[in-house]
Amino acid sequence: MEIEVLEKDEKNMRLLIRGTNVPHVNALRRIIMTEVPCMAVDEIVMLENSSILQDEIVAHRLGLIPLKTDLDSYNLPEECPCKSEFGCNLCRVTLTLDVEAKEGTKTVYSDELKSENPEIAPVSGKIPLVKLAKEQKIRLEAYVRLGKGKNHAKWQPVSMCTYKYMPKIEISKNCDGCGKCVDICPRNVYAKTENKVEIRNLMACILCMDCVEACTQNPPPIEVSWEKDTFIFSLESSGALSPERILSEAIKILDKQLKEFESQIKVKKIEES
Amino acid sequence: MIIPVRCFTCGKLIGDVWEEFATRVKAGEKASEILNSLGIKRYCCRRMLLSHVEIIDEVLRFYEEAEKRKEARNYY
Repeated sequence: MEIEVLEKDEKNMRLLIRGTNVPHVNALRRIIMTEVPCMAVDEIVMLENSSILQDEIVAHRLGLIPLKTDLDSYNLPEECPCKSEFGCNLCRVTLTLDVEAKEGTKTVYSDELKSENPEIAPVSGKIPLVKLAKEQKIRLEAYVRLGKGKNHAKWQPVSMCTYKYMPKIEISKNCDGCGKCVDICPRNVYAKTENKVEIRNLMACILCMDCVEACTQNPPPIEVSWEKDTFIFSLESSGALSPERILSEAIKILDKQLKEFESQIKVKKIEES
Repeated sequence: MIIPVRCFTCGKLIGDVWEEFATRVKAGEKASEILNSLGIKRYCCRRMLLSHVEIIDEVLRFYEEAEKRKEARNYY
């Protein structure tokens, strides 16, 4: 397996993975979405809420806020040695919010949430939580826990994680360069130069085959196919973890699950023999 | 009521760009250009902002008025 980074910034990553197969890439995708832990508000104690949004709505909004996650210093609640339902310092962070609109209408933003640990804070401080009219008050305590995407989408570290085959387009010499494929392509894969059609942006192709259908020649000189062992893997983090960290964490989890699977097969074989 | 924190479909954070989006639309900029400059690429996230109406502002007006009336009553 060979991995090449096509694009990368703080939140997005695009990889070209060579020499692998669908089950493997799909396992990676599913683990990223369902098994990689990240932090989110899990429980709330509402001390006072005179805003016009009900407690439940405020709680739901708080839960969806992506929080910067520190995976090394915190444990999953079910794996924490404290074994307490309430949690300890190793598996729980407390956020507090105490706002009153003293002068006129006020919007409460996510940066007003005070965290016990400054490293576990909302990804963006500009998310509106509630709007308060004059003299309305909101006071609450929120408990942040690590969790997995399979339990609730708020614990998903990614907002997008997809892969597609690497497209392969061949234009034979019979092409008369009419340019119909250039016009119809929704992704602007082709470019027309003089009397020839050239591929300008192969990676953008979504294998829709419109270019083959639009071709006036029979048989069409364009052949669109894909490379069976090469994938373009794109990932967009919610901001909780860096994309590299998500990927490395997913690989670790995949290894662990495969080891467990192997040991279970061994047990089964021993039982049978 | 109030802008949702995340996109309903994909889960991307969109709540934090709403205010910038709303003020720039009011200033007369083209919505599609604002969305592109804010880095909102998918149509699921774009519709979250495009189709949103901040009704909470309308509801809050009732409370603001009630407050004013209370103040007026104390004044006399």
